[in-house]
Amino acid sequence: MKGTYMNLFYPKTKSLMKKFKNYLFFSILFLFHFANYSQFLENMNASFESYSAYYLDDKKTGDFKLENRFRSNNYLNLKSIFAKNWNFELQIESYMPKPLLNYSPNFENTNISTLKFEYNIKDLNIVFGSIYEQFGSGTSLRTWEDKSLGINNSLLGLNVNYKLTDEINLTSLIGQQKKGFKYSKGFVFGVDSEIDISQLIDSNSTFLFGLSYVGRNDQEIKSESFDNLTNLYSARIDYSGNAFYTNLEITQKSNNPILVFGTPSDTFIKKGSAYLLNTGFFNKGLGLDFTFRRLENMTLYSEIAAAGNEFNESIVNYLPALTKQHDYSLTNLYVYAAQPDVNFYVEDLTKAGEIGFQTDLYYSFKKESFFGGKYGTSIAANFSLWNNLGGKYDFLNQSYKTDFLSFGEKYFSELSFEIRKKWSESFENIFLYVNQYYDKRMIEFESGQVKSNIFVVDNTFKINDKKSFRLELQHLSTKNDNKNWYAYGIEYNISSSFSIYYNNLYNYQNPDKDKKINYYNFGGSYTKGMNRLALNYGRQRGGLVCTGGICRYVPESTGITFSIITSIF
Amino acid sequence: MKNLKIYFICLLIFNFSFLISQDRIPSMNLKTIDGKTINTKSLSNKNGLTVYSFWATWCVPCINELDDIDKEIDKWKEAKVNIVAVSTDDSRTKRRVRPMINGKNWDFAIYLDENQDLKRALNISGIPHTIVVRGTKIIYRRIGYKPGDERNLYEFILSQNKKFDEKI
Repeated sequence: MKGTYMNLFYPKTKSLMKKFKNYLFFSILFLFHFANYSQFLENMNASFESYSAYYLDDKKTGDFKLENRFRSNNYLNLKSIFAKNWNFELQIESYMPKPLLNYSPNFENTNISTLKFEYNIKDLNIVFGSIYEQFGSGTSLRTWEDKSLGINNSLLGLNVNYKLTDEINLTSLIGQQKKGFKYSKGFVFGVDSEIDISQLIDSNSTFLFGLSYVGRNDQEIKSESFDNLTNLYSARIDYSGNAFYTNLEITQKSNNPILVFGTPSDTFIKKGSAYLLNTGFFNKGLGLDFTFRRLENMTLYSEIAAAGNEFNESIVNYLPALTKQHDYSLTNLYVYAAQPDVNFYVEDLTKAGEIGFQTDLYYSFKKESFFGGKYGTSIAANFSLWNNLGGKYDFLNQSYKTDFLSFGEKYFSELSFEIRKKWSESFENIFLYVNQYYDKRMIEFESGQVKSNIFVVDNTFKINDKKSFRLELQHLSTKNDNKNWYAYGIEYNISSSFSIYYNNLYNYQNPDKDKKINYYNFGGSYTKGMNRLALNYGRQRGGLVCTGGICRYVPESTGITFSIITSIF
Repeated sequence: MKNLKIYFICLLIFNFSFLISQDRIPSMNLKTIDGKTINTKSLSNKNGLTVYSFWATWCVPCINELDDIDKEIDKWKEAKVNIVAVSTDDSRTKRRVRPMINGKNWDFAIYLDENQDLKRALNISGIPHTIVVRGTKIIYRRIGYKPGDERNLYEFILSQNKKFDEKI
């Protein structure tokens, strides 16, 4: 993953889209003056979010060497219903004087990031402007926004959704993909259909069937040896009964060049595929789930040359890691990121995708039973295993041949077990145990395999309906990498609006004395309705930081951060 | 061109800031646990208030809030409240929703907002996030959850019910 950063590619786009954007912008002004003015404003809804940081020099984490110590990300969002059946949305973003560390340099100054007109009537929905859409589980297409991750890969174009009958739903779209404040030169287009078979056959169970197509035409790169158009075809089926459900999704990707040292290869051209099977059983108080997935050369970028870029830009489809997503800091030190791509950077570490599974169990003991006690007890367990695709890899000739159900070298495995127990009206515990295996060599091309055991105890004491206190204790033990860590956190909710906290992560067994750093953070927040102010001072741990299945490298830093979330009117 | 744009943007904001709008739950599609599509319009509660709680399987305070509501669910039902727990789990974690709610055996409705379209439409930046609605009109919003917040919310609902009954 890390080795692919050199492939960053920023075309200077001054395309048709820019004109289109300006056209849209002035259309709003037109509407603002001539449309049903009062109705437009009466239904207006606006919110503002701001995240700022002032970075400081620190003996331990190092001096801040970049320009602009003060950095700020700001988002203003306006939504309105301006005429019958018409919605409008405008989001303006400002990264002044620079975006926070680790946001793409494509976010520059102030600009429009979302602009859309939506027409809604009965069974028809048309979006003209920024499109947020997902086909199936997102394996072929997902455009979405997550400000905290710096992701907004919406398409600027046209999206039509039509409910043909009660059972059949059709979606089609075309657009250019957003990349910071720029737009890709190529086009992304697609159609998706979903049919509710159970309504046709009048069954009590649910049967859904879906077909989708997504095409990407990158006009930036010209080559005789590959087609600029890459196609994704996907089929899915979903069944849900009274105590059992299962679904299967298969996606095929047509030929696409692999990047070699940042340039699309004329000879290393491969197809891709994704197989996803999910099944589960349930009963009162019990849930069991199993997911299998196999991905081969599967990520689709709106620009061929953007493959593997550091900021997760220009990605058309969504292929997240299927592992348990944790909420505690030490469980997020060695986080698995899905490995859907072909990577031939290092000999002996060649990979073409991933194969594996995960399984989940949830169970609640009845109240008043031996384990349940007066307030009940619930448990959750998860196991996941992810490997490289088994097959023959020829590093020198840049080719490979995978076997369908063969597991190659292991990337990652995890076993976790969680107990939630409420002891009394005022005291509650969460106990979590995690056993992890993380192959740094295969995943990050860095030395070492890490086997670790993590324990977490989360204690909540409720003083009254407004005041509460939380103490979090964590320990990670491993003989590998940087050895053992501990972490703790205390949080005091002073009233229903005010809250303060202090937490610290410490790699107490790090063999390098200079790297024994207390990553402490303390701060407070004030929340009232839709308004929230938060202030924090502390150190950010460097390395791979993952949230919501998206991972990125973050440099170590020390600083003061300040955030505002508010609904203006 | 650029300066002109910024000027107009400022003008727009300046104009709008004198007005107070009515915030409503937008008409949008969610999915049921079985994968069927349902519109937010059909979730409106004719007999009382609707509480939308935005959560995810990986969000510890969200689960705490829903667990705490579920422990006293009979009380909430008596207050004629419809609890709608909207899972914002995307395809990374959505497969954990069904086993989790079965394991938890929560006694309220769960819907999926997989591509976070409703979350975006309501400008929700983080979860947990709780919204109280009468008809389609939003009368209360809260960011985050701390132990005891559910009690305060319940008290708020009782006071709103009382106000509403007095009006009638």
